[in-house]
Order: sequence, then structure tokens, then C-alpha cells
Amino acid sequence: MIRHLLKLVWNRKRVNFLIMVEIFFSFIVVFAVIFMAVYSFDNYRKPLGFRYDDVWAIRVQNSQGMPEEDKVNQLATFRALLAATKEFPEVETAALTWLAPYGRGDWNSGRKSKDGSNFDIGQNLASDDLKEVLGLKVIRGRWFSREDDGVKNYKPVVINQKMADMMFGDEDPIGKNVAEPSRDNKPVEELRVVGVIEDYRNRGEFAEHRGFMFFRHDLQNSTEIHPQTIIIRVRPGTTAAFEEKLLKRLQAEASEWSIEIRPLTELRDRMLQQYLVPIAAFGLIAAFLLVMVGLGLTGVLWLNVTQRTKEIGLRRAKGATRHRIYRQILGEVLLIASFGVLIGVIVVVQFPLLDFFAFADPQIFAWAVGISLVMIYGLAILAGIYPSMLATRVVPAEALHYE
Amino acid sequence: MTTTSAAISQPLDTQAGVELMIRLEEVEKVYRTDRIETVALTNVNLAVRTGEFISIMGPSGSGKSTLLNIIGLLDVPSSGKVVINGRTINSYSDRNLSRVRNEEIGFIFQTFHLINDLSVQDNVEIPLLYRRSMTGGERRRLAQEALDRVGLSSRVHHFPSQLSGGQQQRVAIARAIVGKPRVLLADEPTGNLDSQMGDEIMDLLEGLNEQAGTTIIMVTHDPRQAEKTERIHRLFDGRQVN
Repeated sequence: MIRHLLKLVWNRKRVNFLIMVEIFFSFIVVFAVIFMAVYSFDNYRKPLGFRYDDVWAIRVQNSQGMPEEDKVNQLATFRALLAATKEFPEVETAALTWLAPYGRGDWNSGRKSKDGSNFDIGQNLASDDLKEVLGLKVIRGRWFSREDDGVKNYKPVVINQKMADMMFGDEDPIGKNVAEPSRDNKPVEELRVVGVIEDYRNRGEFAEHRGFMFFRHDLQNSTEIHPQTIIIRVRPGTTAAFEEKLLKRLQAEASEWSIEIRPLTELRDRMLQQYLVPIAAFGLIAAFLLVMVGLGLTGVLWLNVTQRTKEIGLRRAKGATRHRIYRQILGEVLLIASFGVLIGVIVVVQFPLLDFFAFADPQIFAWAVGISLVMIYGLAILAGIYPSMLATRVVPAEALHYE
Repeated sequence: MTTTSAAISQPLDTQAGVELMIRLEEVEKVYRTDRIETVALTNVNLAVRTGEFISIMGPSGSGKSTLLNIIGLLDVPSSGKVVINGRTINSYSDRNLSRVRNEEIGFIFQTFHLINDLSVQDNVEIPLLYRRSMTGGERRRLAQEALDRVGLSSRVHHFPSQLSGGQQQRVAIARAIVGKPRVLLADEPTGNLDSQMGDEIMDLLEGLNEQAGTTIIMVTHDPRQAEKTERIHRLFDGRQVN
């Protein structure tokens, strides 16, 4: 019977062509949305690497601008601000960093993986207390400490497991240099790995899982990139009223500086929205498209069944049960959908082959293809059910126009 | 009410020791709508022996095709009894009716009803698609045999639109006989053909009746063709007339 249906669908390819094209484009759109969703969901399941509850980010900036010679004073102000936050009993611990988790902006650079390919990593500054504030989990080596004071020949860095895996595979990364060699062969300062943390995904749960590296900032060296953010862990139950009190105190310490306090939960909501809104928007468009395609498909199949009343009557006269007619019409719909989907799969398979999806695991691609197939076939079945039912109601004697 | 397979294997019908293929008892057919009630058949009794070739004649609207539909299980009588090959089929389920249509009855239509998107071979195979456990090879072999019998074995890969009217009716006959049915129901099989082609089709039907012993009931307007059959039943206003 499948062979018979294949012949029928193939011989009617001109009639079915538009349906196939419609299915093809639907598959491509559905695949794009599903891929985004699966990729985001896969990222969401991975460990975030830090805690955001009861953590506040205080962004501090000198509103007057900062001449080079004032960097020493600037650093002194940072130290004073950090000390001021620690005065409050509501603050359990505080640290300095360049960019807060979920913060806008990014600091990244490139590295070469063990197999020679290039990959991007995120970077940030950390004072010694950042591990405590964010609850970072060290899985190898150690976090920054006073032990790193005064080291001159190298900069201590802490990397995440992903970066360790990319650069060193199964080898122990502790003590290894992760500096990017200079292109003009000038000597580059060694970046020595002193510890590995489980993860640190500063752009949130839905963001790409990438390598990450922390530089230590000892709050003494004014030639380094300066921190811009104080991260504090407040005692559980601390209310927003404390925010005002803290702001006043900090403003007193640096009256000309711009100071903005935000709980990480608020930054997180904003960041998650940035990822979810496009997915939801595309999802909505895709859903509308699918509804339109579904209705269109139902209409075309309905017309098709109506035009084939005689054929259906003939088949009934020749021994087809109502159930066989139902299966035949639905089978034809699925076959037509298969032609469209086949072309769609051939197209989307080119993406990973051409390295368009290098940032995502092949499994994610496979899942996205699988879910898209289920959705398109589900749509085809839904669209085919009613016309197939109509076909079973054909009365052979009437269909064959005996009278 | 559903019918079990046990019900299908009732004993063969006999009348005075002669095996009956078809028996209709007091069959009535009334079409009812909200406003009108149209009586298509009234008190029709018919007994057709196995291997008989009969024709049904009557003016348009006399109920010939309705009668053929009821015999062919494409329609159900409003009252009365229909016995096919010894089995009373009035209460058969859709599945059992379909099986009887598929295995025991072959239809030939005035307008051929070939599927234009399928080749001659594929058109002829259609009834066999609804046979369980029949392989593709077996279907092809039987279709070839049927096409051989109607003299169209060289046209298996043609499509209906590439054939003449007479050839199309031959394909329809091949499709009707491919499943080796015991009964052929032909609804004005020569109605759309010129007299020469009509005669050829009649010769084919006579051959099937004589050589294969197929029971044939033919509806026709053409007295010349009707004369070639063993008996002529006449209908007028849904009633049998002598």
C-alpha cells in the first residue's frame, strides 16, 4: 500500500508541490525556533557556577572622568567604598569585580584549544572575597589569597572547568600558562592557573556555556584595569530600605561618583528577558505560521478529498473499508509532508557541516531536528484528520453517480 | 449490529437444487428527505443462478442502478432481504461488506472510473490492495493476467488518458476481474462506446461468463446488447414488469 501511495503522491507531484513547499518552509522556521529553544534549555540545565540570591551589585563610576594620574586616588576611593560597605551589619561580605554577574557588557578574548581551534572566553577581575560573595565552587587548586601578594613573574588566574577542558583536556591545568601568545613574538606576561572553579556564567542561565577566567585584583596596583563594581552578600531578609541607607553612606564617601545599587535578582530578570523575549517572539510568529499552514493544509486537503470523491467511491466499491480510506488519505498527507521535510532536513544538515552551529553540541542539533519533525508531522496529522474523516463519509453509490 | 466471520460462511443458497448466486426478496428502497419521499424500488424479487448472464432494462429513473447498487452492496435496501452467495448481508458491518465487495463482486461502470494519475497496471491492481497478505509480486502477476485476458498486456505502463474509450473500458474490466470475483455487475458498460467497441466489450463479457463461469448482471439501455444475455429483467417506476 505504501508503494501505491508513493506512486500516487509522486504522480500528483505538480498538484502537491505547493503543499511540499509550504511544509518545507514551515520546517525551516520551526527548526530555527526549536533550535533556539533547545539550545537555551540545554544551557539552562548547566550549572550557573554562582549564587545570586541575597547578592547586590553596586556599580561605581567617577562621573568626572579620570585622568591617568588620578588612578591611585581612584583606587583609594574603591578601597574606601569597599570598607564602607563592610561597616554595615546587614552586609555579610563584600568584594570587588569589574563587571557584575548579569551585568551589561562583556570582556572577552580568544584562546586556542588543545585541538588547535579558536574559542572565546569571558574574563573578569576578582578580589579575594569574590569567591565567598558569589559562592564560587573551586574544584581544583585554590582561589586567590594573600599567598598571591607580591608575585612578580606571573599573574595568578582562576579558570573554569570548561576552559580547562578546552585548553588542556584531561591534563591538570594547575600551574599552566594560559596567556595568549603575542602575534609579533613579543614576550607576554605569564597567566598562571592557580585554581579551577566549576563554572561562572556571568551572562546567565540561557547564555552560551563558555570558558571563563578571573584575574586577581589586590586593590593596590593602580596600573591594572580597575574594578567598577562592588558585590555584596547581604544577610537573608535584608529589605530594600537598606539600599537607601547604603547608598547614602557610599555617596558620602565619594560624592562625585555615580553609584547604582541593584540586587542580582533584578539584573537576572532583566538578562533572562533579553534571552526569552526573542525566543517568545519567534515562537509566537512560528506558532501563528503553523496555525496558518495547518488551516491552509486542511483546506487544500479538504478540496483534494472533494475533488477525489469519485476515486474514493471507486475504492470503496472495490473493497476498501472506511478505515482503509481514512488511513490512505492520512498516509498521503504524511507522504507529502515527508517530501517537504526531507528537503528541509537536507538543508538544515548543511548548517553543522558548514560549521554554522559550531557553538552548539551536535546533540542539540539532533534534538532540534527531531522535535521539529515531530511538530511538522503532528501538524500534518492534525490537518489531515478532518479531510480523512470526510473521505470516510463518502457514499460509494452517490460518489460513482449511478443515478 | 456487527457480523462475525462465522456469519459469512453460511451455506450456499439453492432453489430447486440450483445454486443461487444472488437472491433478493421483497426489496424496497425509499429515499427520504425532510420534504420528499422518493420510492426507487418496490417489492423487487430476483434470483440469479451461479454462472448466469442477465440484463436489467428500463427507462431512466426506473431504479436499475439503485437495484445494481443494492446487489453490489454499495447501498442498503429500506426493507427486504439480500442474499449473496448464500449469505444474508443485510446486517453486515462495513468491514464485512467491504470484504464481500472485494472478494466476490467486480464492478464495471459506464464512465470507467479509472484513476488518471495511476498507470494501467496500478489501476488494475487496486482491488488487490485491499486483500490481506498479498505480496506486491502476486498483485503484479494477477494484474498482468487480467490485462492479458482483455488484450491490453502491452499497455501496462500507459496512463488512462493515453488510451481510447474502448481500451479504458477494457482496463476497467481487467480491474473488475483481477480479484477473480464470482459476480460481475456492469452498469451500462457499452453506454459510452461506439457500437463496434460496444460489441467488443460484450464479447469480452460473454467470454468471461462462458469460460470462467462468472455471474454477470448488466444494466443496459441497448436492447441489442440485452438480447445477448440469458434473461432480461425490466423495471418501470421501481417495479419489476414482465
